[in-house]
Amino acid sequence: MVARRIEKEQKIETPRAAWLIGLAAWAIPGAGHFIQRRWLRGALAGGAVWIMFLTGLWLGGHLYAVSGGQQGLGALLQLLPMIANVGSGLLYVFCWIANIGFAEHAQILTYEYGNTFLLVAGLLNYLVTLDAFDIAAGRKR
Amino acid sequence: MKHVFWMSVFAALTAVVFGIAAKGTDRQRLIYGLKVFGEFLGIALLLGWILYFIPFR
Repeated sequence: MVARRIEKEQKIETPRAAWLIGLAAWAIPGAGHFIQRRWLRGALAGGAVWIMFLTGLWLGGHLYAVSGGQQGLGALLQLLPMIANVGSGLLYVFCWIANIGFAEHAQILTYEYGNTFLLVAGLLNYLVTLDAFDIAAGRKR
Repeated sequence: MKHVFWMSVFAALTAVVFGIAAKGTDRQRLIYGLKVFGEFLGIALLLGWILYFIPFR
Protein backbone atom coordinates (compact mmCIF):
# COMPACT_ATOMS: atom_id res chain seq x y z
CA MET A 1 0.00 0.00 0.00
CA VAL A 2 2.86 2.36 0.88
CA ALA A 3 4.66 1.41 -2.35
CA ARG A 4 1.50 2.18 -4.33
CA ARG A 5 1.17 5.54 -2.60
CA ILE A 6 4.83 6.42 -3.31
CA GLU A 7 4.36 5.36 -6.96
CA LYS A 8 1.26 7.57 -7.19
CA GLU A 9 3.08 10.54 -5.66
CA GLN A 10 6.01 10.10 -8.03
CA LYS A 11 3.68 10.36 -11.02
CA ILE A 12 2.52 13.84 -10.00
CA GLU A 13 4.55 16.19 -12.14
CA THR A 14 5.68 19.55 -10.90
CA PRO A 15 4.20 22.32 -13.05
CA ARG A 16 6.75 24.30 -15.06
CA ALA A 17 5.42 27.53 -13.56
CA ALA A 18 6.46 26.32 -10.10
CA TRP A 19 10.12 26.34 -11.16
CA LEU A 20 9.80 29.86 -12.52
CA ILE A 21 8.05 31.00 -9.35
CA GLY A 22 10.83 29.37 -7.34
CA LEU A 23 13.40 31.29 -9.38
CA ALA A 24 11.51 34.57 -8.90
CA ALA A 25 11.21 33.88 -5.17
CA TRP A 26 14.96 33.38 -4.91
CA ALA A 27 15.79 36.43 -7.06
CA ILE A 28 13.53 38.90 -5.24
CA PRO A 29 12.60 37.90 -1.68
CA GLY A 30 8.81 37.79 -1.41
CA ALA A 31 8.17 37.85 -5.17
CA GLY A 32 7.24 34.15 -5.30
CA HIS A 33 4.35 34.71 -2.92
CA PHE A 34 3.27 37.97 -4.56
CA ILE A 35 3.02 36.25 -7.97
CA GLN A 36 0.65 33.74 -6.38
CA ARG A 37 -1.35 36.54 -4.76
CA ARG A 38 -0.27 35.57 -1.25
CA TRP A 39 0.10 39.19 -0.28
CA LEU A 40 0.41 38.89 3.49
CA ARG A 41 2.78 35.92 3.37
CA GLY A 42 4.91 37.63 0.73
CA ALA A 43 5.04 40.89 2.65
CA LEU A 44 5.96 39.20 5.92
CA ALA A 45 8.47 36.68 4.60
CA GLY A 46 9.99 38.93 1.94
CA GLY A 47 9.99 41.88 4.31
CA ALA A 48 11.80 39.86 6.97
CA VAL A 49 14.52 38.84 4.49
CA TRP A 50 14.90 42.38 3.10
CA ILE A 51 15.07 43.92 6.58
CA MET A 52 17.56 41.31 7.73
CA PHE A 53 19.81 41.81 4.70
CA LEU A 54 19.78 45.61 4.84
CA THR A 55 20.25 45.62 8.62
CA GLY A 56 23.20 43.26 8.18
CA LEU A 57 24.85 45.68 5.78
CA TRP A 58 24.05 48.63 8.05
CA LEU A 59 25.59 46.85 11.05
CA GLY A 60 28.85 46.54 9.15
CA GLY A 61 28.66 42.88 8.17
CA HIS A 62 30.36 41.67 5.04
CA LEU A 63 29.37 39.39 2.20
CA TYR A 64 31.49 36.40 1.22
CA ALA A 65 32.81 35.62 -2.24
CA VAL A 66 35.29 33.07 -3.51
CA SER A 67 38.03 34.94 -5.29
CA GLY A 68 40.66 33.51 -7.59
CA GLY A 69 43.42 34.14 -5.06
CA GLN A 70 42.10 31.51 -2.64
CA GLN A 71 42.76 27.83 -3.04
CA GLY A 72 42.16 24.62 -1.12
CA LEU A 73 40.75 24.96 2.39
CA GLY A 74 40.76 28.75 2.22
CA ALA A 75 38.42 28.68 -0.76
CA LEU A 76 36.22 26.05 0.92
CA LEU A 77 35.92 28.18 4.05
CA GLN A 78 34.69 31.06 1.89
CA LEU A 79 32.42 28.85 -0.23
CA LEU A 80 30.01 27.75 2.50
CA PRO A 81 29.15 31.25 3.79
CA MET A 82 29.03 32.43 0.18
CA ILE A 83 26.33 29.83 -0.55
CA ALA A 84 24.38 31.24 2.40
CA ASN A 85 24.85 34.82 1.13
CA VAL A 86 23.83 33.90 -2.44
CA GLY A 87 20.45 32.87 -1.03
CA SER A 88 19.57 36.57 -0.90
CA GLY A 89 19.22 36.47 -4.68
CA LEU A 90 19.55 39.67 -6.66
CA LEU A 91 20.35 41.61 -3.49
CA TYR A 92 23.66 39.71 -3.39
CA VAL A 93 24.19 40.08 -7.16
CA PHE A 94 23.56 43.83 -6.94
CA CYS A 95 26.03 44.19 -4.05
CA TRP A 96 28.56 42.11 -5.99
CA ILE A 97 28.26 44.28 -9.11
CA ALA A 98 28.32 47.53 -7.10
CA ASN A 99 31.02 46.17 -4.76
CA ILE A 100 28.98 46.96 -1.67
CA GLY A 101 29.49 45.03 1.56
CA PHE A 102 32.46 42.91 0.54
CA ALA A 103 34.98 44.83 2.63
CA GLU A 104 35.60 43.65 6.20
CA HIS A 105 35.02 46.12 9.05
CA ALA A 106 36.06 43.99 12.02
CA GLN A 107 36.66 47.09 14.15
CA ILE A 108 32.92 47.86 14.23
CA LEU A 109 31.24 46.60 17.41
CA THR A 110 28.28 45.12 15.54
CA TYR A 111 30.38 43.52 12.79
CA GLU A 112 29.63 39.94 13.87
CA TYR A 113 25.94 40.75 14.18
CA GLY A 114 26.01 42.13 10.66
CA ASN A 115 27.67 38.99 9.34
CA THR A 116 25.11 36.78 11.05
CA PHE A 117 22.23 38.88 9.73
CA LEU A 118 23.56 38.66 6.17
CA LEU A 119 24.17 34.92 6.33
CA VAL A 120 20.80 34.15 7.88
CA ALA A 121 18.96 36.48 5.45
CA GLY A 122 20.20 34.27 2.60
CA LEU A 123 19.34 31.05 4.40
CA LEU A 124 15.86 32.29 5.28
CA ASN A 125 15.28 33.25 1.67
CA TYR A 126 16.03 29.66 0.65
CA LEU A 127 13.26 28.66 3.05
CA VAL A 128 10.90 31.30 1.62
CA THR A 129 11.76 30.10 -1.91
CA LEU A 130 10.92 26.50 -1.00
CA ASP A 131 7.65 27.65 0.55
CA ALA A 132 6.68 29.55 -2.62
CA PHE A 133 7.70 26.56 -4.76
CA ASP A 134 5.63 24.14 -2.65
CA ILE A 135 2.58 26.39 -2.93
CA ALA A 136 3.01 26.64 -6.71
CA ALA A 137 3.46 22.87 -6.99
CA GLY A 138 0.27 22.30 -4.99
CA ARG A 139 2.03 20.61 -2.10
CA LYS A 140 1.08 23.31 0.34
CA ARG A 141 -1.80 25.72 0.78
CA MET B 1 21.35 46.39 25.91
CA LYS B 2 22.44 46.81 22.33
CA HIS B 3 23.21 43.09 22.10
CA VAL B 4 19.83 42.11 23.55
CA PHE B 5 18.11 44.46 21.11
CA TRP B 6 19.82 43.03 18.02
CA MET B 7 19.31 39.50 19.31
CA SER B 8 15.59 40.25 19.68
CA VAL B 9 15.42 41.70 16.16
CA PHE B 10 17.16 38.60 14.81
CA ALA B 11 14.83 36.28 16.75
CA ALA B 12 11.73 38.17 15.59
CA LEU B 13 12.65 38.16 11.88
CA THR B 14 13.68 34.50 11.95
CA ALA B 15 10.51 33.54 13.82
CA VAL B 16 8.37 35.32 11.20
CA VAL B 17 9.89 33.27 8.37
CA PHE B 18 9.78 30.03 10.37
CA GLY B 19 6.13 30.67 11.17
CA ILE B 20 5.30 31.31 7.51
CA ALA B 21 7.17 28.24 6.25
CA ALA B 22 5.54 25.96 8.83
CA LYS B 23 2.57 23.75 8.03
CA GLY B 24 -0.83 23.99 9.66
CA THR B 25 -3.57 26.53 10.15
CA ASP B 26 -2.86 30.26 10.53
CA ARG B 27 -3.36 29.97 14.29
CA GLN B 28 -0.98 27.01 14.59
CA ARG B 29 1.67 28.84 12.58
CA LEU B 30 1.27 31.98 14.68
CA ILE B 31 1.74 29.96 17.85
CA TYR B 32 4.76 28.21 16.31
CA GLY B 33 6.32 31.55 15.35
CA LEU B 34 5.81 32.94 18.86
CA LYS B 35 7.27 29.74 20.31
CA VAL B 36 10.36 30.02 18.09
CA PHE B 37 10.79 33.67 19.14
CA GLY B 38 10.49 32.78 22.81
CA GLU B 39 12.88 29.84 22.47
CA PHE B 40 15.50 31.99 20.73
CA LEU B 41 15.40 34.57 23.51
CA GLY B 42 15.11 32.07 26.35
CA ILE B 43 18.01 29.90 25.20
CA ALA B 44 20.21 32.93 24.46
CA LEU B 45 19.56 34.38 27.93
CA LEU B 46 20.16 31.00 29.57
CA LEU B 47 23.45 30.52 27.70
CA GLY B 48 24.41 34.10 28.54
CA TRP B 49 23.99 33.46 32.27
CA ILE B 50 25.85 30.13 32.07
CA LEU B 51 28.77 31.82 30.29
CA TYR B 52 28.69 34.65 32.84
CA PHE B 53 29.68 32.27 35.63
CA ILE B 54 32.41 30.49 33.65
CA PRO B 55 35.76 32.20 34.24
CA PHE B 56 37.45 32.48 30.85
CA ARG B 57 40.46 34.48 32.07
